[in-house]
Amino acid sequence: MLSREENELLTQTDVGSPAGKYFRRFWLPALLASEVPTPDCPPVRIRLFGEDLIAFRDTNGQVGLLEEACPHRRASLFWGRNEECGLRCVYHGWKFDVNGICVDIPNEPQEYRLESKVRTVAYPTRVYGGLVWVYMGPPELRPELPKLEWARVPESHRYISKRLQETNYLQAIEGGIDSSHSNFLHASLDAFRLTDSYVEKVKNSDNLRAKYHLLDKAPWFTVKKTDYGLVIAVRRKAEEDRYYWRLTQFLVPSHTIIPYQSGHSIHGHCWVPRDDQSCWVWTMSWNPNAPLSENDWGMIRDETFVHARVDPVTFKSVRNKENNYKVDREQQRTSTMTGIHGFASQDQAIQESMLPIVDRTRERLGTSDTAIIAMRRLLLQEIRELAQAHEPFAAQHADVYWVRSASLLLKRDVEFEEGARDLMKAEV
Amino acid sequence: MRAIPAATVLTFPWRLPAIRGAARARSRSCYGVAMELDAPSGVPLSEVNPNHIVPVTNFSADTLWSIIAHMEVSTDFEHLVYREAELDAIWSITGFFLVTEPNSSQLEAVRQLRAGAHKAHDLVADRRPAEAAVVLRSFL
Repeated sequence: MLSREENELLTQTDVGSPAGKYFRRFWLPALLASEVPTPDCPPVRIRLFGEDLIAFRDTNGQVGLLEEACPHRRASLFWGRNEECGLRCVYHGWKFDVNGICVDIPNEPQEYRLESKVRTVAYPTRVYGGLVWVYMGPPELRPELPKLEWARVPESHRYISKRLQETNYLQAIEGGIDSSHSNFLHASLDAFRLTDSYVEKVKNSDNLRAKYHLLDKAPWFTVKKTDYGLVIAVRRKAEEDRYYWRLTQFLVPSHTIIPYQSGHSIHGHCWVPRDDQSCWVWTMSWNPNAPLSENDWGMIRDETFVHARVDPVTFKSVRNKENNYKVDREQQRTSTMTGIHGFASQDQAIQESMLPIVDRTRERLGTSDTAIIAMRRLLLQEIRELAQAHEPFAAQHADVYWVRSASLLLKRDVEFEEGARDLMKAEV
Repeated sequence: MRAIPAATVLTFPWRLPAIRGAARARSRSCYGVAMELDAPSGVPLSEVNPNHIVPVTNFSADTLWSIIAHMEVSTDFEHLVYREAELDAIWSITGFFLVTEPNSSQLEAVRQLRAGAHKAHDLVADRRPAEAAVVLRSFL
């Protein structure tokens, strides 16, 4: 469990908060590049860390991210005209470039040169991996972009989705690194009950997850602290002389790479606080070696795995709290644990059911929650160290993010660090 | 097995009432094992390894001694995470005991142990495992 003080320290990320200050030391995804597809296209709203912002792509193709409220009379720049290398407020014509510099104040006498005295809040952006990234920390500490493999593969090898989740970011990360819940939340009833027909179906499967993950519901957990975060290693019994290992990468402040099997696509997430009660869920699927396959695209279209369909304006999930995630109770009764379609919606439903901010003073944790405990302790340590003026190492060392997850079989006397060493190296 | 001082009123093992429905699934999960009864006690003291998680199946003297022994040799981030998880499990199990055995003669002793586990947990979180071990020792 956490104390109230610790829970607040971790979950409060708005302006001025210690955790918010920590997150702002990193480049983070802000919006899909396709949300601002062309020069001078309409501006879009985006909320990050409790700040309401406007993104726009100027005439030169550069993306600006400005405070939504015009510094003149606080009118929204969402209604602004994006033209001639700037965004012009339609209330009184004040115009700002991508750096937040005011370049025109037409309603004041020109000889006053008032625009030279006016700036609005603006954050630097970069387009990388199909996303617009933002850095909201001290300008003099601006780092390089993290060397994430999914951001470096060709566009045809990657798919990214974005959705709004109405929870604090922390319980979303916890869902992402907790390996044991998938034995239940994401399971079919046959898998949960280990019916004879299910066991017969998976026992000779090439899919290691299908074969071993669901046959041993009491995995053994271990964690390893790294330069970039954590490796969360979960071991399940396989054949008599082997273990099945699933190695999840947690990369600070809030990225994960889900264990994958060689030859298959890789998946991961990044969670970015929108405010204390909501977060952006970024989900990536990529193949380092080839364009995404028809099978990959099928799973994306059918929402069976990590992606979910969203409203194109709000990015709210089509399956949401208001419609009970379109639960099918008959399906729940007869074939799946939840009756909710797709892993992403199942995760969202259960995480949103925990209330926007989980009261972690009331938890009853066990040793199977080791990964969650480790992640919380790591983030608390980093947040507190930053408060003591110790900068987070990973933020300033982009190369440490160049890793992969893994899942593999190893002989029982082989440590996972040794056995999976080469598999966990990124290549692109 | 160490002798439990007469002043210690905890009696082991204790049995939770059977709970329908998820019993089968729980009985095969790490946390389910923590709720079962008559489970063997923790790792023998001769096999203390701070890189391993002590199986917490009850709050017997053996289990507490095992956690204490591991705390006394825990130094790294990973070690302290495992110790914290073990103390979380103790806190959880004692919490359930307090709810399910309200008429037990052990109630006050378990309540005190629970408070002690909470204190030890916070000490471990603060990277003070030796002090946490002292807290737990006071119950043995």
